[in-house]
Amino acid sequence: MTEALVIATLALPVCAAGLLALRLPPAAARRLNTACALAVAGAAAALAIVELSQIGTPVAGRWYAIDPAGAVFLLVIAAVGLMSALASPAYLSASVQSFFKGARARAAYYAALYLFWAALLAVAVADNLAVAWLLIEATTAASALLVAFSGRPNALEAGWKYLVLTTLGLAVALLGIIALYAELAGGHGHGALATLDWHSIHRLAAGLDERPALLALVLIIGGLAAKVGWSPVHNWLPDAHSEAPPPVSALLSAALLPTVMLVAWRAQVALEPGTGGAGSGLLLAFGLGSLAVAVPFLWRELPLKRLLAYSSLEHMGILAIGMGFAHPLATAGVLLHVGGHALAKSLGFYATIPLLRRDPELGRRPAHGLFAISPAGATAITVSLISLGGLPPSPLFFSELLILLGGLAAGQTVVVVVAAALLALGFLGLAQSTIEGVVSDVRATGAARAGGRRMSLLTGAVSIALLALSAGIYVLPDSRLVTQVMGAVL
Amino acid sequence: MSAAFLWALVTLGFAAVVVRRRSLGITLMGAQSILLGLHAIGDTHDVPLAIAILVGRGVVLPLALLAVVRGTRERRRVSSELLALPRLVIAVGAVAAGAALVPSVGLIDPGAERAAIALLVLGIVIAAVRQAVVFQVVGFLVAENGVYLAGLAVSGGVPGAIELALLFDLVAVLAVAAAFGTKIHEHFGTSDTNLLRGLRD
Repeated sequence: MTEALVIATLALPVCAAGLLALRLPPAAARRLNTACALAVAGAAAALAIVELSQIGTPVAGRWYAIDPAGAVFLLVIAAVGLMSALASPAYLSASVQSFFKGARARAAYYAALYLFWAALLAVAVADNLAVAWLLIEATTAASALLVAFSGRPNALEAGWKYLVLTTLGLAVALLGIIALYAELAGGHGHGALATLDWHSIHRLAAGLDERPALLALVLIIGGLAAKVGWSPVHNWLPDAHSEAPPPVSALLSAALLPTVMLVAWRAQVALEPGTGGAGSGLLLAFGLGSLAVAVPFLWRELPLKRLLAYSSLEHMGILAIGMGFAHPLATAGVLLHVGGHALAKSLGFYATIPLLRRDPELGRRPAHGLFAISPAGATAITVSLISLGGLPPSPLFFSELLILLGGLAAGQTVVVVVAAALLALGFLGLAQSTIEGVVSDVRATGAARAGGRRMSLLTGAVSIALLALSAGIYVLPDSRLVTQVMGAVL
Repeated sequence: MSAAFLWALVTLGFAAVVVRRRSLGITLMGAQSILLGLHAIGDTHDVPLAIAILVGRGVVLPLALLAVVRGTRERRRVSSELLALPRLVIAVGAVAAGAALVPSVGLIDPGAERAAIALLVLGIVIAAVRQAVVFQVVGFLVAENGVYLAGLAVSGGVPGAIELALLFDLVAVLAVAAAFGTKIHEHFGTSDTNLLRGLRD
């Protein structure tokens, strides 16, 4: 039964990609897209719920494994994928220019979107480091086309930069995987793929020499950093997020980056017996570096999507710090943060669809007077930015609090102090952007008020979900979920 | 692995840094892939898989790139590029730095290990200093050849499933890169990526 669900979760989006690649009339494509999105998200969510309902007994087969961490990420990918797929028709109906010619554009968009979604879902359930790497590489091909979908010169630049930087980064990670394989197999590899299963790595890591194990980990995490967008290898991130269609930006920021980070986290935890605490130090360094680079940009006047992109850099930094603390409180914070960030960031990107439709120049200039352009879009942006800034009762306030408390409990006082200072500055920067861009100049016109019902509904639903997530601060610490994630991110 | 074989691989990588013509760069990278493939065939129990990988990496990928070159003719040299000598100096410096700074990754053949890291570094250098789209793809493939060499240096080899899946991934990424190359040429009349500089903060 579970295996059937896993197969459905992975096969449905691939089949959907095949069906939607046919050149269907717009209305038929929209209906098919809705049906496929609901089916894919339903299967993935069911799989995650199966695992979360029986914590302590991981769901595993010969080629897949769903542990508590994987289940949480699976839920996030399912939710963001569903929202992105449902938001896509609104974007496509307004897009006039494309990388692809004529009628092929819509079909190519949907096919790439579903293949991207399929690869992301597969990463979360991959039981093997090498397989996870291959799937991450597969996300690059589909998502680079989506980043450049508008076909504008800036989009081509963003897509190309993303393709080159992440593929070179992944080549470095692959060298690390091969070095690790050579160490684990101890000269007796005989082509055994299972050597790179997460559990095998963890089991064999204790017998590794520290130096080569650490070097392999540095290459793996350093290479994956290019795909996560951690500083200093983040150059593609603001460009790709700002130029991609908004539903794709949401999928990139809220699903792709955390999912690749899950693989880095698993690698760090799996190799811990061989590397000591060095892996945690590496994550903390990437985390603090990313926070430090992102915060000054949150103070600058930037176009909305670019601001959201730098906020992604900030939040990937926070997540890395939480993973690096390796304390139950911080782990609870990480799980809460992944969910809260996904909802808030997706809402922010979707909100740009009506805003950019009414004023395409918003993609190039800093936002001002958004209420006058689209009250519903501006409200959604406000909810998104306030949540991302970590203003209570945003779940991100509680998750950041948990992460910092976890750091204090882990004895990382200096890191906590620096991170807290940077987070405070980041919050002030986002608050300033919200006031300047959204709340100022609130002279809305009647025409602008019209047609925002769907966006208002989405904002309401996401706000309720964010508030519900905030309850995680009471539920998650000391929960079995966190204990299991701590015991085995594998 | 013999020193001559490893030196040949690295020399082909250096040559790809300096040559002017895109087709020549592709041929050099293809020759490097074929050398690696031939070595793999002589060193494996799974000959059909090794042949498939040789054909994929050494023939199909270079031919696909040559097709991109044919469809994106350049009227003149990509002007934003550094001259060949400075490019070579940067490449030699980067490879020397890589050799000095990267500790042993623990492969059984230290020569192959050094050559693998040199190719990885050379690939990154090619992608950084060459401005034509096709050369940046060649850089990526040279880096991948370095990783493939590291895989060949592992006793017993890396799992065949991984090699095959990696080849599939390479083909997918190359197809996307080719689409980008064509589109960039369509927009700008050249495949000079230096023109892609609109996004700055």
